[in-house]
Amino acid sequence: MAEEEVVAEVEAAQAVYGDDCLVIDTYPPHLHVHLKPRTAEVSSEQFVEATIGMQAGPKYPEEPPVIRIIDSKGLDERRQKHLMESICSKAFELASCLMLVALCEEAVEKLSSMNHPEGDCPLCLFPLLDEDAGNNSLPFMKLMSCFHCFHCDCIIRWWNWIQMQSENESSSSSSSTVRSMPDQQGIRKMMEGSMGKCPVCRKIFLAKDIEHVLDLVGTSGNLDCAGTEIDGGFLQSEAETIRKQKIDAILKIQQENNGLIEPKKNEVLLPGMFLPQPVGLPSTESEGVSSESQSKDPAAKSDTNPESSSNRRRSRKPNNYHRKQRTQNTSKQARQWIRKDNVSDN
Amino acid sequence: MTSDSASSRKALSKIASNRLQKELVEWQVNPPAGFKHIPTDNLKRWVIEVNGAPGTLYAGEMYQLQVDFPEHYPMEAPQVIFVPPAPLHPHIYSNGHICLDILYDSWSPAMTVSSICISILSMLSSSPAKQRPADNDRYVKNCKNGRSPKETRWWFHDDKV
Repeated sequence: MAEEEVVAEVEAAQAVYGDDCLVIDTYPPHLHVHLKPRTAEVSSEQFVEATIGMQAGPKYPEEPPVIRIIDSKGLDERRQKHLMESICSKAFELASCLMLVALCEEAVEKLSSMNHPEGDCPLCLFPLLDEDAGNNSLPFMKLMSCFHCFHCDCIIRWWNWIQMQSENESSSSSSSTVRSMPDQQGIRKMMEGSMGKCPVCRKIFLAKDIEHVLDLVGTSGNLDCAGTEIDGGFLQSEAETIRKQKIDAILKIQQENNGLIEPKKNEVLLPGMFLPQPVGLPSTESEGVSSESQSKDPAAKSDTNPESSSNRRRSRKPNNYHRKQRTQNTSKQARQWIRKDNVSDN
Repeated sequence: MTSDSASSRKALSKIASNRLQKELVEWQVNPPAGFKHIPTDNLKRWVIEVNGAPGTLYAGEMYQLQVDFPEHYPMEAPQVIFVPPAPLHPHIYSNGHICLDILYDSWSPAMTVSSICISILSMLSSSPAKQRPADNDRYVKNCKNGRSPKETRWWFHDDKV
């Protein structure tokens, strides 16, 4: 096949994936594509992601490109292997056709079907997705920085506990002897005000990650850190009903847009999925973004001010950077859906 | 012998007790190598037998760990001590207290009894010499009234052992 056609395919991939497509070589093509599940238009509904490397030789497309997973989040070894296998079998299927975009779409497809966390909540040790509980599975959330997932109740209980501890510490620190220098302590306290560390990997996350869960779960009294039993009424509570209704609405939209993950429909969409809020959630997907938001500490601090909790939702408008990124995402998403129509027609 | 502090006298919260039951079941299915849980009817205090790892200074020796869970476990760390006689180790005091950061400042609720046990065995296994901490006598004297190691302000200065 002519070189121009291959080059045109690389351009097509760039058009489809935009900034998520890093072209290392145009010919023979060598790309790194950062892929997210189709449902991940809102970053809080995303539990997995992967960067796939595709390196083709001069004989491409007669010979398939070399494919590898450069980086991934939320995927254990087994699921990474599954992803690789399905991309490779797609490459085999499409032998001697131009396949770069099709392979990415296959990966997106797989990521979409795996877009749910696996295993147990690290805090209560009960499964995040309880198959038996069906619709009554407890809502869960993930930390944006590392994609580690927890039941909302569990992480909020822990977060409240940490906040309470640091308050107690600061009120009693004047009387006790402290080993660190006072200025260091001051800095530490300031950091703790707007950040936390993932209980699993200790990676730092912003308080905003947690605060949006507070909003969505509702700051009901049954989540207090004293560990009081969560009454059964929680699942029937108004907040929960509204949440379910909104999720049903999203499900419908997804169906209409052909953006629904086909297998495990209910399982993937029901538990713990957070609803796209009108203003959108701050995203801290990449290292760059999170460090940028960290440097805007004063702004983050004002967000966590308990007195402003009533208008917390409004105060968390995404900054320009995020807004830009979101628009890009949306347009890209639309294109992916169109592509998917084509694929499913075949 | 254990702490008299208020937290350890209180009953386990519902959450703590659910989590501990879950841990116990998982322990029974998949116990950490070298450890044996000695069954009691008290969920709040576990007694665990530790066998020194083969090929280390403690090979063939057997010790007992006593793990006491606070009301708000796993938010709060459990109190973990060796039942005397405690192994001779540069970070283990003769009263059984263990100087190990994850039991105090670096505790995370994502840790479990099983992961604590593995850390303690790893600490034992990497010991270069069977000896007490330099400040053993002073420390043990200060703990006379059954003070919990959790009330100690620990310095974690040595990350090699």
